[in-house]
Amino acid sequence: MANIAAKRIKREFKEVMKSEEVAGGAIKLELVNDSWTELQGEIAGPSDTPYEGGTFVLEIKVPETYPFNPPKIRFVTKIWHPNVSSVTGAICLDILKDQWAAALTLRTVLLSLQALLSAAEPNDPQDAVVAKQYKENPQLFHMTARHWTNVYAGGPASIVEFNQKVQRLLDMGVDEHDARVALSTYDWELERATEQLFS
Amino acid sequence: MKVTIKSWTGVATWRWIANDDNCGICRMPFDSCCPDCKLPGDECPLVWGACSHCFHIHCIVKWLHSQPQQQCPMCRQDWKFNNK
Repeated sequence: MANIAAKRIKREFKEVMKSEEVAGGAIKLELVNDSWTELQGEIAGPSDTPYEGGTFVLEIKVPETYPFNPPKIRFVTKIWHPNVSSVTGAICLDILKDQWAAALTLRTVLLSLQALLSAAEPNDPQDAVVAKQYKENPQLFHMTARHWTNVYAGGPASIVEFNQKVQRLLDMGVDEHDARVALSTYDWELERATEQLFS
Repeated sequence: MKVTIKSWTGVATWRWIANDDNCGICRMPFDSCCPDCKLPGDECPLVWGACSHCFHIHCIVKWLHSQPQQQCPMCRQDWKFNNK
């Protein structure tokens, strides 16, 4: 790894460890390998959002050209959010793309991702299905996001009816995650989800 | 008493006067050099932009070369070297 990238990541790592956000449990950062090219981040779901109470794990890959190019970050924890792919965890956030600046750090990026959970940008979506639901049926979006937070991110127990519908599909032999995606996509209408799964 | 000085050695220190302690690009202290240099000072000077932000010259040049738009990595204003 280029000299500047490794040195900077080492300094940033120390900086994050000393930060008040780590002390307060809002963010977390861990090394994945000894070469400083891959790290694992964690952000706490912000309060007053459907992500509250959840812990979201992020995969952080540091390119050879860092800090002249942004780190590559995706959600490992599955999440229902307009700017995050519900399939791959890919993130649509300008500072991770063309608005990256060398003055940004892992700490500020993690905080920006946490802010993204509080303020979605449905007009610049990564996941069109989620964004559509966010705009057309905000209440259902909120409940779905809360359900995903509960199941995948360890958030508080949520909507019993959703769990029952997932169970119905499980009983039919459908994979649990596939069932959840189909139901979430079709606004929790069991018939339409079933139809899509078996078509 | 009369003292005769036979020889003397002057000692001086120096430091950059910058608006920050660390370079925002490599995050090394300004009193140290960029990660590609060995010694701070004339070999690894600081430069200021018209926006008042300051970087190791090697760092800002690399940043500008890596970007389609020539903007300060701190404030995103168009980057101009301050030739004061």
